[in-house]
Amino acid sequence: MLKAMIRDLVAHKSRVVMTLLAIAVGVAAMVAAWLISDSTATALSAQRSRTDVGIAVQRIDSDAALTVAQSKQLADLPGVRGVSVVAVGRAGLVGADGKLVPGETVPEYAGTNWSRTSRFELTEGRAPAKAGEVVLRDAEAAKGQLRVGTRVRILLADAKVDTPVVVGLFAYRSLGPRSDPQLGSDPVPAVAYDARTATKVLGDDVERIELTVVPGADSTALTAAADRITGPGFRASTGETLAAASAREAADGAKDLRLALLPAAAVALLVGMFVIANTFSILVTQRTRQFALLRAVGAYRRQIRFSTLVEALLLGSAGGAVGVACGIGLAALLLPLMNSDGRIPLAGVPVAVLLGLGIGLLVTVTAAWSAARRAAGISPMAALRLDHSTPRAQGRRQTIIGAVAVAVSVVVIGLTASPSAENAARIVSLLAALVGVVGVLLLAPVLAGFCLRPLLGLVARRSSPALRLAVRNAVRDPRRTAATGTAITIGLALICALGVLSATLLSLVGSTVRENVPAATTIVQPAAGGEAVLDASTLELVRRLPEVSTAAGSRDVVADISYRGGQTVRRVSAIEPHALGTVFTPDLVSGVADLRQGAVVSKNQADMLGLRLGDELTVTFDPAHQVVTKVAGIYDATELQAAIFVDVAAVPERTRSRLSLIYATGPDPVAAKAALDRTFAVRPDVEVIDRDALVTRLQDVQRVGFAVLYAMFAVAVIIAVFGVVNTLILSVTERTREIGIARAVGAGTDLIRRSIAWESLVISTFGAVLGVFVGLGVGAVLQHAMLGQHLADLTVPWLVIVLGLVGVIIAATAAAAWPAARAARTDPLRAIASG
Amino acid sequence: MPTRTPAVQATALTKIYGTGDARVIALDGVTVDFHRGQFTAIMGPSGSGKSTLMHCVAGLDRPDLGAIRIGDAELGELSDDQLTALRRDRVGFIFQAFNLLPTLTALENITLPFDLAGRPPDQTAVDRVVDVVRLRDRLGHRPSQLSGGQQQRVAVARALVTNPEVVFADEPTGSLDSAASTELLGFLRRCVDEFEQTVVMVTHEPSAAAFADRVLFLTDGRLVDELTAPTADRVLDLMKSLEKVTS
Repeated sequence: MLKAMIRDLVAHKSRVVMTLLAIAVGVAAMVAAWLISDSTATALSAQRSRTDVGIAVQRIDSDAALTVAQSKQLADLPGVRGVSVVAVGRAGLVGADGKLVPGETVPEYAGTNWSRTSRFELTEGRAPAKAGEVVLRDAEAAKGQLRVGTRVRILLADAKVDTPVVVGLFAYRSLGPRSDPQLGSDPVPAVAYDARTATKVLGDDVERIELTVVPGADSTALTAAADRITGPGFRASTGETLAAASAREAADGAKDLRLALLPAAAVALLVGMFVIANTFSILVTQRTRQFALLRAVGAYRRQIRFSTLVEALLLGSAGGAVGVACGIGLAALLLPLMNSDGRIPLAGVPVAVLLGLGIGLLVTVTAAWSAARRAAGISPMAALRLDHSTPRAQGRRQTIIGAVAVAVSVVVIGLTASPSAENAARIVSLLAALVGVVGVLLLAPVLAGFCLRPLLGLVARRSSPALRLAVRNAVRDPRRTAATGTAITIGLALICALGVLSATLLSLVGSTVRENVPAATTIVQPAAGGEAVLDASTLELVRRLPEVSTAAGSRDVVADISYRGGQTVRRVSAIEPHALGTVFTPDLVSGVADLRQGAVVSKNQADMLGLRLGDELTVTFDPAHQVVTKVAGIYDATELQAAIFVDVAAVPERTRSRLSLIYATGPDPVAAKAALDRTFAVRPDVEVIDRDALVTRLQDVQRVGFAVLYAMFAVAVIIAVFGVVNTLILSVTERTREIGIARAVGAGTDLIRRSIAWESLVISTFGAVLGVFVGLGVGAVLQHAMLGQHLADLTVPWLVIVLGLVGVIIAATAAAAWPAARAARTDPLRAIASG
Repeated sequence: MPTRTPAVQATALTKIYGTGDARVIALDGVTVDFHRGQFTAIMGPSGSGKSTLMHCVAGLDRPDLGAIRIGDAELGELSDDQLTALRRDRVGFIFQAFNLLPTLTALENITLPFDLAGRPPDQTAVDRVVDVVRLRDRLGHRPSQLSGGQQQRVAVARALVTNPEVVFADEPTGSLDSAASTELLGFLRRCVDEFEQTVVMVTHEPSAAAFADRVLFLTDGRLVDELTAPTADRVLDLMKSLEKVTS
């Protein structure tokens, strides 16, 4: 009996190819996601295996400084064999194209002093020895197309520029975590000068002191002694502690990456499951008589069920194996693209292989389960019926459950729709949306009937016979049409929901910036983006321009905030009080926009923290700098904007000279912008943009994040298209006789081919349109839950919808090619003979 | 023909399909015995319930009322699994069409009941039935490589291979030409004569019924007549008279 089933599989390869592909693509996505995250994690932790440092004294407060006397004291500690100082300074590397080279670290920490420790590993050339020489990190050099022997421009602090010769390239090995509030961080430098030049060019800002110790030294005592010497701004840790923390950080990073990638892969698998379930369902229907015959001659129900499951098991293993192979290939291909540093070897392959195979099997067997049950339920009497395509009973229960789910979902979403709803209500709202989606999927067969039957009447009157045939076939078994179409529905619904969220977010970003920043304001910001800052000299430069009448800098820092309701960590912006109302015009909801009277807080932050006008706030920048203020004004903004403004006079000196953004304007805003453009034309590390460009920048940041998700969900749609191909092939096989008769009575091959193509189009379009509507609904709930908007305030992502629909239509037409060709090849005589 | 112990006993079988206007009484209290070592044909116009009778008696379908006994087994008391095992080991089937799994060879189709039971095939039994149906040189062929008559012979071999208490045949010659029909019916006759096999066959062809020892006539779900040692002419005459009565 197993023999019969296996031969059946082999005999009908085309039936299984698409199922295999559906399994394989899902598994491949899963395996690739796993491998990419695992390899990145392994590479991150492998990079940090420095063992030569016994104790590292790391700066944890950016204001702290270390005196020469203190380093001497450290060197004199008993058990310390050597001391290596790590200094950092601003060094913006300018590439061959004249633009700032985007580096691992923001420019203000990208320069350091060369040392003979294992921090550096020369990969080319030699170490820097004197002024006028520099070595670059290989990754940044490659990005900026800078070679050994060429002269390079480096933008230093206070608008100074250095033009040394590149004498070598290095690879950097970090010590400890990249960013850890307790242990400090080890910024990866792009530029290294010899120690003496570094002091001159970069300043003597000590980031870390590395101590080598004699074997057997008491590291606990040494750490304590070092802490006593340096004071609270520095923290001494043993090399092991840092290594452990760095391994932890790498593991966390991998987990985050995995959490980002795996859900999308899971969606692909879910869609794959629909395809598999549908395929098995059709296979079982087609083999009804075989199963019935087996039952008649003495096969137990469980034997039938078992044979179907073994079939799933075989397909699952084969699809899993193909998927694993493709996943490994995909990861190998994507890793260098995702990590500009390259050189990341594949890691975690054995786990990924097991995971891929296991998931392939699990998904296939789960998907085939209900088909297997149905196969086992076939009565032996079915073998005696002559027509074997018995219509399947409409699942009344399924329809009722679906309708109830949709109704419950709508009611619950309605009840939780208030924009000021608590987090719990928002989560309930999201869950209700999920229930609604399941309901719609359950209702899909009924919907397919509803939507397609009127279409049948429409095409009956005036259209080609091919289209008529196609629509009739799609309507004939609405359950199959729905099952095939809903795979596409899921994929497209995800894309549309994401589209709504992203479009709403982008329009929110745009509208808030436009509301809060006057069109006349010019923005000067660091070209490096991210956490990069400009120094005080840049603000001075702006202020000195005669065309500029008002200039203010926003210094964004993360600080502890204590308030009536508790304590939290928030991003705080320190700005000159005169900026509000001139270059930055917050849309006040209540209170005054006067920082001298207190902080100005965005409404969503105030709502979240329960802050009201006059409430007291304690902002702690670092243990030595605490500011007590009160809420003076509340303004309208999105969650993306810096949300708490305080007077710059209150913040520590160092923070004051770290500007995230400069707002400037003049009596003639256009002249001011032109003057700024001129001034900073020679400064690739500074970017001068107007308000609309700022909007675009902020939106681009969001778009990048969404693009990755779009790509992931597109995979799901591709799998769904495989499902359409599969269903078409199976339905062509099922209808061989019918097609043969049509051919015999005079239907041309072209008519047959076109009717199959139309059928593909009808099924796919049904799935796609349903997906768009479901996606818009879910998107509305998503943007409500995540952005605190009204349900109806959604922005419809027209472009996404049109692209999605067009994509599905193209894919469906392409998908029909093979089955259509098969159908057209049907030999009329043989088709009729095969009773 | 001497009366022997019945291989199959059916008592007061009633089977009703559908409800309301669509209600059809397929069997209306049929009581019948099929004797061991006897070849019985069931005849009747279409819709007379002859197929339903056979399906119920063979354990493929369950009657709404009444009892069926095959050997010592009371079918109504059996679970689905027990009934399945009974069909596999103690009953043989030949259908009008689609008797064979297309992906298995003739031999594999013949030994399918052993395969399902997880037993090695009884080689003597296999050799015997293969010789009876004269398929020795066709054993490695797939159904698609065999003629219709050869396919039905494979089905006969499969039905006989477990040495069942009774073989049920549902219009076995329905899709065969007359030469192949005669040959197939000859095989069934030989099984009865040489191996004392019990055979129950549903047919609507008087010429096929003529191969049987006994012919039962069914109309509107009731047994209306019976003929022993039939000839084609006598069967035909009886059928004509029945049709007159019903019309």
